[in-house]
Amino acid sequence: MTEILRIFALWRGRFGWMAAGLVLSLLALAAGLALMALAGRMTAAAVTLGVLAAPILLRLTGVARVVLRYLERIITHEATFRALADLRLWFFRNLAAGAAGGLGFRRSGDVLSRLVSDVEALDGLYSRILVPVVGALLTLLLLLLVLGAQDAWLALIVGVLFAAAAFLLPWLAARATAAAGQRLAEAISALRVSVLDAVSGLREVRVFGAEGRMLAAVQAREANLLAAQRQVAGYARLAQAGSFLCAQAATLAVLLGAGAPPAAAVGAAFLTIAAFEAIGGLPRAGALAGYAIASARRVLGAVAEPLIAPDPPEPAPLPRETGLRFEGVHFRWQERRAAVLDGLTMDIAPGTRVAILGPSGAGKSTLAALALRLAVPEEGRILLGGADIAGLRATDLRSRIALLSQNTHLFDDTIRANLLLARPDADESALWAALDAAQIGDMVRLLPDRLDSWVGEGGLRFSGGQGRRLALARVLLSPAMIVILDEPGSGLDLETEQAFLTTLNALGRGRTFILIAHRLLGVEKLDRIWRLSGGKAIAAAA
Amino acid sequence: MDVTKKAATTWLKQQGSLGRRAAAGAILLGLFGILLAIIQAGVAAFLLRGLIKPSGTPLITLGLLFGLLALARAALSVLADSAAFTAGAAGRRRLRSEILGRLLSIGPSLLRHEHSATLSSIVVDKIEALDGLFARWIPAATLAIAGPVLVLLATLIADPLSALILALCGLFVPVGMAAAGIGAAAASRSQMQAMTRLQTRFVDRMRGIGTIVLAGRAESEAEALKLAADDLRRRTMRVLRVAFLSSAALDCAAAVALVAIAIEQGRSLLTPGDAPGIARALFLLLLVPEFFAPLRAFALAYQDRMSGLAAAEAVVALPPTTQDGAERGIEPPATAPQTVAAHGISIAFEDVHLSWDKARGKALDGVTFRLPAGGTLILAGPSGAGKSTVIEILLGFVRPDSGKVLLNGIEISSIVPQALARLTAWIGQRPVLFATSIRENIRFARPEASAEELDEAIRLAHVESFVADLPDGLDTLIGEGGYGLSGGQAQRVAIARAFLKNAPLLLLDEPTAHLDPATEAEVLDSLNRLALGRTVIMVSHSAQAHLLSGRRLNIVAGRLQQGERSGVA
Repeated sequence: MTEILRIFALWRGRFGWMAAGLVLSLLALAAGLALMALAGRMTAAAVTLGVLAAPILLRLTGVARVVLRYLERIITHEATFRALADLRLWFFRNLAAGAAGGLGFRRSGDVLSRLVSDVEALDGLYSRILVPVVGALLTLLLLLLVLGAQDAWLALIVGVLFAAAAFLLPWLAARATAAAGQRLAEAISALRVSVLDAVSGLREVRVFGAEGRMLAAVQAREANLLAAQRQVAGYARLAQAGSFLCAQAATLAVLLGAGAPPAAAVGAAFLTIAAFEAIGGLPRAGALAGYAIASARRVLGAVAEPLIAPDPPEPAPLPRETGLRFEGVHFRWQERRAAVLDGLTMDIAPGTRVAILGPSGAGKSTLAALALRLAVPEEGRILLGGADIAGLRATDLRSRIALLSQNTHLFDDTIRANLLLARPDADESALWAALDAAQIGDMVRLLPDRLDSWVGEGGLRFSGGQGRRLALARVLLSPAMIVILDEPGSGLDLETEQAFLTTLNALGRGRTFILIAHRLLGVEKLDRIWRLSGGKAIAAAA
Repeated sequence: MDVTKKAATTWLKQQGSLGRRAAAGAILLGLFGILLAIIQAGVAAFLLRGLIKPSGTPLITLGLLFGLLALARAALSVLADSAAFTAGAAGRRRLRSEILGRLLSIGPSLLRHEHSATLSSIVVDKIEALDGLFARWIPAATLAIAGPVLVLLATLIADPLSALILALCGLFVPVGMAAAGIGAAAASRSQMQAMTRLQTRFVDRMRGIGTIVLAGRAESEAEALKLAADDLRRRTMRVLRVAFLSSAALDCAAAVALVAIAIEQGRSLLTPGDAPGIARALFLLLLVPEFFAPLRAFALAYQDRMSGLAAAEAVVALPPTTQDGAERGIEPPATAPQTVAAHGISIAFEDVHLSWDKARGKALDGVTFRLPAGGTLILAGPSGAGKSTVIEILLGFVRPDSGKVLLNGIEISSIVPQALARLTAWIGQRPVLFATSIRENIRFARPEASAEELDEAIRLAHVESFVADLPDGLDTLIGEGGYGLSGGQAQRVAIARAFLKNAPLLLLDEPTAHLDPATEAEVLDSLNRLALGRTVIMVSHSAQAHLLSGRRLNIVAGRLQQGERSGVA
């Protein structure tokens, strides 16, 4: 339940809409009940209201009911979908806050399922549970009043039956489906993951003849989903049938119990029928509540992990100086694994070009992760312009440092949009300058759509080397004063790599370039070379 | 679009006839339920009459009968609901396998046009959206006519004028629905498109979320997502407005019927104490909701049909399977790997032209070469020159625009893609790693491989050297896209896959791109051993590529460089 309350707390901004929907819904309900009660009385010879008054009232309530019902539905759904859109946005923001290092072990299909299916599962909380429950309370009161005026016992019996249908059965259904609802939420996610695996891995699947295996995996996930759905649907229809029987028993009781005068009996019978009809959706909604609660847990849970390096409560101002200093840094990726950096100390003066060399696994990429605060050293500290980066706001720090990593991603968008990611206000000439520096300008010029050419999923429409150079251009475009290039030449042919490194020599005076590589080609003009070995940095001749 | 729409409607009709048999149970149960409701309304009327003016049948019998009928109706609705679920589940299961099977059989060429998240939303969400078609639409469409007719007949017997009122109000429903439902199909389609767009954008951004956050662009990406989410909301509301309008039309018709019958009965009942009259009035009024219930179900299910139609359009728009064009069943003489390993596979390209995208010029511009069985060819040249395209053709992922590609003298396009895949082991530039253990990722290449074969592949690919440092060794879990592994380590997992696959034709696309020179030399050494007795094509611009012994060819701008072509052919 706490999850549900937290979700509602996130919907604070939509309480106005929700309240409006609730009021309209109550009005529509009142009109509906009045219509049914009046129709019943009318039939019984219009004893109480008179022949002329009743038809007019009937027409009025009839029209009011139709109009109010329509408005109510529009407003409650508008409230719901606004709240859902808010929730999706909140989800993304919080997810992004903790995902500077990528999704990690989270699977994109699962995260997607939380954003899509789990958020969607919450759509009934307000419009199918909260609103009808409030309506049911009101209806119960009305039933007791009207029937109680005729016969206290009858009012009690109908009241109990109504409460059972409106509150007890949905609550029982919600309890019964708690486990199945959880399974349902997980099964949808698992299905998405397996389908996304099969589809994004279409090449691997074809080459390794895994079509049958992938299909079987998806079918197995689907079977789980269907089983969970079947279970939830089973409880829902039992609750529904139970509610139907309560309504029938109440109708019978009213018919038998109201007795003479028949006018009252028919009127009461119709009121009862209308009252039960108004809560007809609750049992099913109750059966889906288990799913909604599980989904709420999944939505909140995805962003609940504590950040690796949260911003300090009072971040220091970003220093103007851009010198980078590693001071006695110890680091290991996991506790059980050996230390990657073991008391590393290294100074990178502002505006210099340095290379950091070493075999794979020496901790070269780790340095970049530490500088961007994607990871935190166990011991020692990292200083930017003399300030410990642990005391800075992460977004400030990252505005100073641009990184081309092994995992730099190309988005399924145009070349332009991909480049502008680094500097949204860059003009056309800056884009071309960056592309030229990355040795890809000529290729882009030959494309019919030039900067507006579509890159494709993960850069699929370009070769590996071309994609790498587009990513390179993006990093060069960035206004950051420190540029870290982790293996910029991987996937490039020798001539291109040489040409790029030569261009780099003439690029952006005042910016710091940190080149991370297995080896040097000899064309680089460097101020300093560090070699990583045994978790320490050893200065080599430049 | 019109062609797609037409095809989608046809497809939906086919699905309808397939689903109707499954829905027969739900339809029969529904009809029976309506019949019982009519009888029950009659019993209630007699009950009321008996209360006002005691007559022949004892009240207790009538009360019991009423209760029994209620129980029977409850049971019927449970059964009908269960039958509907079964029909929906069966329909989804069948279609999901069919569609996914189709995607798998078309293969990787799909990814050039569609994002994987878009494709996966067809398999997941659009198939889920078809549930209503099988579970609700098909039974509701039949019951919407049969149900009201039954009720109408009963009303006719009791009071012809009321029957006329009901019939008129009933006729208004389809008119009202049609008026409200104009553009319903378009609204459904546009809602579904918004949903797919949102999903695709989200998955794409999630995969590169680190890049976005590091560039400080998380907030602007959030704004873009907000736009997409708002767009989805607006389009969803448009669909719902249609649904609510048609439901308001129904409400309206039902209210008019109720009021009219009430007035008609009330006027004729001014004489008090007319027990049969009151009973008849109750009977008629009780039947009003029963008359409209199937129509209401129909209106709701109409939305299901609309979203079904929108889903059908996505399904129909998928390209046909590549096999449809190829002559099925013709396999190269050497399908079984053993026989092939003995004889080997020879490759010939004859004046091959190919452009991925007409506007972008040719990727291959008249490439001709011949590689004998067991030979090794190293393709070099600047990136984007067309080297990978040669590999793509040999993998069967793309077909040349003109020219011939022959495997053992057989035209490659006549070979079933799956059969071609069986002959080939491949290492790509961007290996897709799944979120599971390293071991399972390697075993993916050949799940039935023995432990010894797996060990051998791991050793040859130098996976051991980095796995030894991991706390869980080969069972270390990695994230999607190889999270937790460096580029070079992921590459070696892909190489291990190729070793494990043990196929006669090895296609290597920059297999050592992310490796440091020492590891690269070791891996090339292993590849040299793997190449024995196999035909190998390696694309590489590594300075160390010469470590793999074989012929070298340069490709520049889609052409083999003059001097070297003659040396090979």
